[in-house]
Amino acid sequence: MLTLNWKASTTVPVEAECITPDNLSGKSLAEIERLPVQHGNRQESLAEFFAVSGDAADGEIVLEGDLSRVKWVGAEMTRGRITVRGSVGTHVGSEMAGGEIVVQGDAGDWVGAEMRGGLVHVHGNAGHQVGAAYRGSRRGMRGGTILVHGSAGNEIGSTMRRGLIAIGGDSGDFAGVSMIAGSILLFGAPGQRTGAGMKRGTIALFGPGSGRGELGLLPTFRLACEYQPVFMRLFMARLRSLGFPFERDVSAGRFRRFSGDLVALGKGELLVWEP
Amino acid sequence: MEINGVEIEDTFAEAFPMVATRAIITAATPRWAEIAAREATGYATSVIACDAEAGIECSLGPEETPDGRPGASVLFFGFGREKLEKAVACRVGQCVMTCATTACYNGLPGTEKTIKIGGNLRYFGDGFQSSKVIEGSGKRRFWRLPLMDGEFVCEDLFGTAKGVAGGNFLILAESQAAALDAAERSIEAIGVVRDVIAPFPGGIVRSGSKVGSRYKKLRASTNDAYCPTLRGITNSALPDGVNAVYEIVLDGLTLAAVEEATRVGVRAACLPGVVRISAGNYGGSLGPHHIRLRDVLNR
Repeated sequence: MLTLNWKASTTVPVEAECITPDNLSGKSLAEIERLPVQHGNRQESLAEFFAVSGDAADGEIVLEGDLSRVKWVGAEMTRGRITVRGSVGTHVGSEMAGGEIVVQGDAGDWVGAEMRGGLVHVHGNAGHQVGAAYRGSRRGMRGGTILVHGSAGNEIGSTMRRGLIAIGGDSGDFAGVSMIAGSILLFGAPGQRTGAGMKRGTIALFGPGSGRGELGLLPTFRLACEYQPVFMRLFMARLRSLGFPFERDVSAGRFRRFSGDLVALGKGELLVWEP
Repeated sequence: MEINGVEIEDTFAEAFPMVATRAIITAATPRWAEIAAREATGYATSVIACDAEAGIECSLGPEETPDGRPGASVLFFGFGREKLEKAVACRVGQCVMTCATTACYNGLPGTEKTIKIGGNLRYFGDGFQSSKVIEGSGKRRFWRLPLMDGEFVCEDLFGTAKGVAGGNFLILAESQAAALDAAERSIEAIGVVRDVIAPFPGGIVRSGSKVGSRYKKLRASTNDAYCPTLRGITNSALPDGVNAVYEIVLDGLTLAAVEEATRVGVRAACLPGVVRISAGNYGGSLGPHHIRLRDVLNR
């Protein structure tokens, strides 16, 4: 296990794409300490910001301290595990294809943006654009799982194509905007215009409020039925196995299914859970 | 060798490899899960004339199924993966999907080879089908087909294994009643063994067969050596005092499972009125697996 202890004090962002198990395993401590990171407009070495110890041969990396100014941790990683014992900055797990990132504090914007696979597990809150597509990109998240125990900001799963996002707390506006497919489960109160422009995919709302007005559902979603979808039980079992905290007994309630967004393909669904 | 005064003939059952898969069928209640499982495993006694051999392995509690509902585990066996895929897809499509509240899952996850079941049935959704991929130890895709009572969920791929079919033993008894009682006790005992099914009605075969016939079109015909009514006019294998014979046929995911089922089944069948336990084989020329009754019972 390799441990990186945050020792710097800066308000300028540190871009540390180099912190992935793929990149660090097989390197000596000296080599790791010399790896370049971008600090504002200057390139500096990793050792300027972290005290490095241990060995990354087993693909296990632990980051200690308040890394809320450190960006791109675990970006494009394909294997191994990163544990952040604290908060982390933006773009954590961006475009990752495998492995696991656990953030024990909060995470910034763009958590798991355009990720292909693997698991990002944020125990605190997350910023905007969780699992979203970058501006100008045609597709957001394409696989994998993002779990956020706390709240998250706007545009969760924007243009996502596949994968699972679960948000335990409240979420911002435009969750699932232009969603192509995939699943977003929101356990807190949703924001405005959930699912706007979605083509396919599932957005399940477990939070307070059950009426169209209370939830701020768009008029371009049409009520289909009330039922108990069996597939939701599979998701609940998966979340339970990952230790995602939720108290809802899905089997005890029913879902109102709204089809939409009818301004797009209309094959998506908003599932509103009612106990 | 004798057990409870019943002679165990020094012979062996001859089993052969078949491709196998397991389906987990769930439903809103145990009753509907059982109905679907029985329908899906109907007309599947022997590949002599059926598209597959199938049977219910066991009932499952909610804590044992992927979706937390009551269910049943069923095993299917076929000659070749393509034939098995066709048979299972048809059976799940016609007997499980049509049955109220059901869902159907792969019961052999993680195997190297698979057959496409949900992936073939999805077209019934006529463009309204959708799928969900759940990533755990491996990616599993589940198809959702809109139906009149909600949705049918069926897993895309089912794992296959190289199973063992044709395990068997024969219960030779003084009367039909004694033979049937012993066979029923035997099936009850085999019911606790996992990875194995007895695909015939109630697990019991009355029409044991031999290979070939005097009629060219028939691949199998009655096993006249074990028919009590033919004693004296055919080369009978029945000892004196035997007036009825039932056969237990066993298909399993592994040879060990078939042997274990044979062991517990034979022991349970050694009851008063039973004269001898034997087994069917083809002189060792058909199958690679020889299950010697005495060896199995001595374990």
